[in-house]
Amino acid sequence: MAIVAQTPDILGERQSGQDVRTQNVVACQAVANIVKSSLGPVGLDKMLVDDIGDVTITNDSATILKMLEVEHPAAKVLVELAELQDREVGDGTTSVVILVTELLKRANDLVRNKIHPTSIISGYRLAMREACKYVEEKLATKVEKLGKDSLVNCAKTSMSTKLIATDSDFFANLVVDAVQAVKTTNAREVKYPIKSINILKAHGKSAKDSYLLNGYALNMGRAAQGMSIRVAPARIACLDFNLQKTKMQMGVHVLVTDPRELEKIHEREADITKERIQKLLKAGGNVVLTTKGIDDMSLKACLLNFHFSCLVQSFYFVESGAIALRRVGKEDLRHVAKATGATVVTTFADMEGEETFDSSLLGHADEVVEERIADDDVILIKGTKNSSAVSLILRGANDYMLDEMDRALHDALCIVKRTLESNMVVAGGGAVEAALSVYLEYLSTTLGSREQLAIAEFAESLLVIPKVLSVNAAKDATYMGLDLSKGIVRNNLEAGVIEPAMSKVKIIQFATEAAIMILRIDDMIKLVKDERENEED
Amino acid sequence: MHAPVLVLKDSLKRESGSKVHHANIQASKAVADIIRTTLGPRSMLKMLLDAAGGIVVTNDGNAILRELDLAHPAAKSMIELSRTQDEEVGDGTTSVIVLAGEMLHVAATFIDKNYHPTVICRAYNKALEDSISVLDKIAMPIDVTDRATMLSLVKSCIGTKFTGQFGDLIADLAIEATTTVGVDLGQGLREVDIKKYIKVEKIPGGQLEDSKVLKGVMINKDVVAPGKMRRRILFPRIILLDCPLEYKKGENQTNAELAKEEDWEILLKMEEEYIQNMCMQILKFKPDLVITEKGLSDLACHYLSKAGVSAIRRLRKTDNNRIAKACGAVVVNRPEELQESDVGTGAGLFEVKKFGDEFFAFIVDCKDPKACTVLLRGASKDLLNEVERNLQDAMSVARNILKNPKLLPGGGATELTVSAALKQKSSSIEGIEKWPYEAAAVAFEAIPRTLAQNCGVNVIRTMTALQGKHADVGNEWIGIDGNTGDVVDTKERKIWDSYNVKAQTFKTAIEAACMLLRIDDIVSGIKKKQAPAAGPTPPKPKAEEEGDADSEQILPE
Repeated sequence: MAIVAQTPDILGERQSGQDVRTQNVVACQAVANIVKSSLGPVGLDKMLVDDIGDVTITNDSATILKMLEVEHPAAKVLVELAELQDREVGDGTTSVVILVTELLKRANDLVRNKIHPTSIISGYRLAMREACKYVEEKLATKVEKLGKDSLVNCAKTSMSTKLIATDSDFFANLVVDAVQAVKTTNAREVKYPIKSINILKAHGKSAKDSYLLNGYALNMGRAAQGMSIRVAPARIACLDFNLQKTKMQMGVHVLVTDPRELEKIHEREADITKERIQKLLKAGGNVVLTTKGIDDMSLKACLLNFHFSCLVQSFYFVESGAIALRRVGKEDLRHVAKATGATVVTTFADMEGEETFDSSLLGHADEVVEERIADDDVILIKGTKNSSAVSLILRGANDYMLDEMDRALHDALCIVKRTLESNMVVAGGGAVEAALSVYLEYLSTTLGSREQLAIAEFAESLLVIPKVLSVNAAKDATYMGLDLSKGIVRNNLEAGVIEPAMSKVKIIQFATEAAIMILRIDDMIKLVKDERENEED
Repeated sequence: MHAPVLVLKDSLKRESGSKVHHANIQASKAVADIIRTTLGPRSMLKMLLDAAGGIVVTNDGNAILRELDLAHPAAKSMIELSRTQDEEVGDGTTSVIVLAGEMLHVAATFIDKNYHPTVICRAYNKALEDSISVLDKIAMPIDVTDRATMLSLVKSCIGTKFTGQFGDLIADLAIEATTTVGVDLGQGLREVDIKKYIKVEKIPGGQLEDSKVLKGVMINKDVVAPGKMRRRILFPRIILLDCPLEYKKGENQTNAELAKEEDWEILLKMEEEYIQNMCMQILKFKPDLVITEKGLSDLACHYLSKAGVSAIRRLRKTDNNRIAKACGAVVVNRPEELQESDVGTGAGLFEVKKFGDEFFAFIVDCKDPKACTVLLRGASKDLLNEVERNLQDAMSVARNILKNPKLLPGGGATELTVSAALKQKSSSIEGIEKWPYEAAAVAFEAIPRTLAQNCGVNVIRTMTALQGKHADVGNEWIGIDGNTGDVVDTKERKIWDSYNVKAQTFKTAIEAACMLLRIDDIVSGIKKKQAPAAGPTPPKPKAEEEGDADSEQILPE
C-alpha cells in the first residue's frame, strides 16, 4: 500500500491517541463478529475456501482465525490469543476472542470519558485476580464429587458446540474411555498424554460407526504382501535408518585395481544390510519399524536366510512371521517406541566399532496385526507394554467432515484431560460468567477509586458470553443475562453442562492480558513496505 | 473519523447468513440434478469430455462427478460423498447424491421459515437412526452359498447399468471372481480383497460374451525370445523373481582402474560369469517358466532358452504378487536363495496367445487360485471401460453380500417403507423438530420418484399408488419395476439391494446434508503462502455472485 510519507523520518503512516484505540477496537470487533456465531450448542459452522479451492468446514475459532489471514495488527493479537488458548487449554477459543473484544469495547468507552487507560488497566487486573479467586474458591466443584459422569459431561459440553453434537453422548464416552486408557501413573503424578491417542480418519460408514481401538494404529500396510498378517507376541524394533543396500554418505569414489574386488564390493553392499537384519532377528525382533525405506530386495533376501521366521514376500513360515513397516512417520515411531518401551535406534554401531543390536532395545506388545479399515490397511499394535496406546478410528461421510470431527474430538480430549488434571469443574453455559459478573459488580461498589468503573465494566463484559449464547439460540438477549444467578448455576451443574475450572480461569486470564496489551497502545506506526517484501508476501 | 478499518485482506470474499444456506442448497441440488437421470434401469448415459480430450461414457455416478470440475465448495463436498460411497460399498453412488440433494432441498423451506439449522440437523439425525432401525426390521437374510440367489441379487443391483442388457454375463463374472479370491477368516467371516487380487484386463475385439474369469492370471507380455522359447507348457514349474537377471551395478560409485590388459578381460568375464551363475542357480530347480519384475539380459536369455526355459521380464509387482497367489509360488529376490518350496506348481497351463496384434501370456487352470484375472472383450475401448466400471460395481455388491448377507427390497421399495414408517412416527414427535423430521421422511421418496421419472411413467399416479400401498403394513416389498414402471412386488421380481449399500447411502446422505446445513459463513480466496500478493483493490461487496454463478456453470456441463 503506497502511502506517502508525511514526515521525512517516518516512512509510513502514523496514528495516535484515540484514533488508534478506536481502530483497534473496531478491528477486534470485526474478528469477534466472525466467530461469534460459532459459540454455543446452537452455533453454526464456517466454510473456508482457499484459492486452490480446498475446503475446510469448521467451528473451531482457532482454526477459523488461523486460516483467515487477518491483516490488522491488533486483530492479529487476537488470532494469536486464540491459538494460545488452543494450545494451553484446547477449548474455549471462541469465548476468549469474544471476551477480549467486549473488554476492549467497554474500555474504549471509558477512555472516551477521559479515564486514563492505566487506571482501566489496573482495574481490569484487579478484577481478573478477584474473578479467578472467586472461581476457584466459590464456583468450582471437585470432580470426585461428581464421578465419571462429570468427565463425560465435560466432554459433552465441549462437543455440544461442534458438528458431532447430536452424537455427543456416544463420542463423549469414546473420549473419556480413550483418555482413561492412556492414563500413566508416574511416581509423582498422574499424566494423561493425549498425544498417545492416535486419531485415524477413514471415510465411509457414519459418524456413529467410529470406534475406539485398543492399540496404536499406523496408517499403512506391511512392507510386502507375503508377510504374515499377525504377530503375537510382538517384539518391536524401531529403527531410524535405511535398510537398503548400504550406500556411502558422500559421493565417494572407490578405486579398485583388481576387477575381482569390484565384485566383492557389490557383495558387501548387500551383505551389510543383511547382517544388520540378522542381528535384529537374532535379538528376537519380529516387527521392524523404520522411518526410512526398506529395500525390498535386500530385506527379503536376508530374511530368507533366517530359518526361524520371516517372510517377506518370499517365505512363508506361517507360525512366527515377521512384519516390517517402512516409511513410518517420525512422530508415530516415537509414540510406538514410548508405548512399547522400545528404543529408537539410529545406528547399530557400538563403542567398539562393531555393530550390535541388543534385545533390550526391543519394545514389547501383545500383538501386531494388520487390519482393513474402509479401503485402507492399517497396522495395529495392541497391548503395548509401557503405556497403553489407543486409537480412535473416525468414520464419516467425507474428508471435510472427518477433519472437523478430528478437531472437535481433539478439543474434547483436551478438556477431559484438563478436568482430570485440575480436578475442578464449574458450570458451563455462561453461568460462571454471570455469577462472576454479579460478584464483581458488588465488589466494585466497595471500592472508592477510579478503578471502580473499570471493574464494573469488566463485570458487564463477562455477561457477553451468556448473551451471545442466547443470541445464537435465538432467545431474547436482554434479560437472559440478568436472570442468571447462583440458583441457576447449580442447575447447570446438575444438568451436566460443565467445564473444567482451569479452562474458565485461563479464558479470563488470557482475555484480560490481551485486552490490557491492546489497550496500552496509543500510537501505531505503519511503515511502508519494501518492494521486495511485498513480493515475498 | 477514520476510513473503515481493514481487518481482512481485500481478496477475501465472505458471505454469511441465510445467503450461504441457500447457495449451498442450490449448489447441492445442481449436483444432484446432473446425475439424476442416471438412476435406475432406464437410465441414460452421460458423455464427458475431459480436459485432455478423452471421452468417458458412463452412468456411474462417481465416474461422472469425478470428472466435473466444480468451483462451489458445497458442490465439492457433495462429490466427495459419491467417492466415499464408491470406496466403502462400491454401489449406490447415484442414490446417495440424489438423496442428499433432496434432504437439503426440503430443508430450504425451513431455513426460509427461520428454523435454526441445528434443529433441522437434530431432526435429520433422529430420522436417520429410525430409518436404520426400519432397515434392520425389513432386511432379509440370504444364503450366500446359493449361487442362484446371489446371481439374481447381483443382477438386480447392476441392472441399472449399461451392461444390464447383456443378461447374466457380468453378474456371473462378478460372482465367480469374488468367490475365487474370497478368503475365509474363520468365524464365518469372509474377506474379499478386490483391489489386490482381482485384475480386470480389457482387450478390445471379440464379443462381450467372450469375457470370462480365468482360473489364474493373464498378463500383457510375451516371452523374452519368441521362437526360441516355448509358448505352451503344460503344468509349468514357475519361478518368480524380483531381481534383475543382468549384471548389477553397485550402489556406491566404483571405478576400476585397470593397469593390465588381462584385467579388462577378467572384468568382462566376471560379468558373464555372474549371469551364468545366476542362471545355473535357477536352472537347478528345473523351472519351465521364469518371470522377473526387472530386466533380463540377452545373455541370461540365451542360457535360459538353451535349457528350454521360457522367460518373461519387466512384470509389474502387483501382477507378480497375483501370479504368486494363483500358482502358489513365492517371489524370490536372490537366485542363490531359491528353495524348492518357492517354485510354483499350481498352474495347469502356460500359454501365450495373440489377440489382435498383441501377445498375452496366460497362466491358467490353477489349482485353488487365490487371485484371478477377469478378461473382458468388447467392441471398443470406451465400451470396455464402462463394462469394467460395471463389473467393479458388481464385484463390490457381491463382496458386500458375502460380508453381510442381508437383503433389502430394491426399486424404491425400501425408501418408501422407511418414508412411511417415519411419517407415522413423526406424529408422535413433540416440539419443533416434528416438521423437519416429517420432511426428511418425504425426502426419502426422492428415490422412487426419480426412478419413476426415469422410466417415463406418470410420476404422480405411480407415487400415489405406491404411497397408498405402503401406508398399510405388510407391503414392504412393493416397489417400482424400473424397466416397465409398474408397481410390483419386488420380492417376486427379484429386485433387491444389499443391506450394506442402502444403510451406507442413508448414513452418508444425511450426515453430509447436516454438515452443509450447519454452515453459515463462507470465506473464500484464502491465500496459500506462496501466492503473489494481491494488488490494492478497493473493498467491494462481491460475495453474492458466487453461488449463483457457480450453479450456472454447472448446468451446461
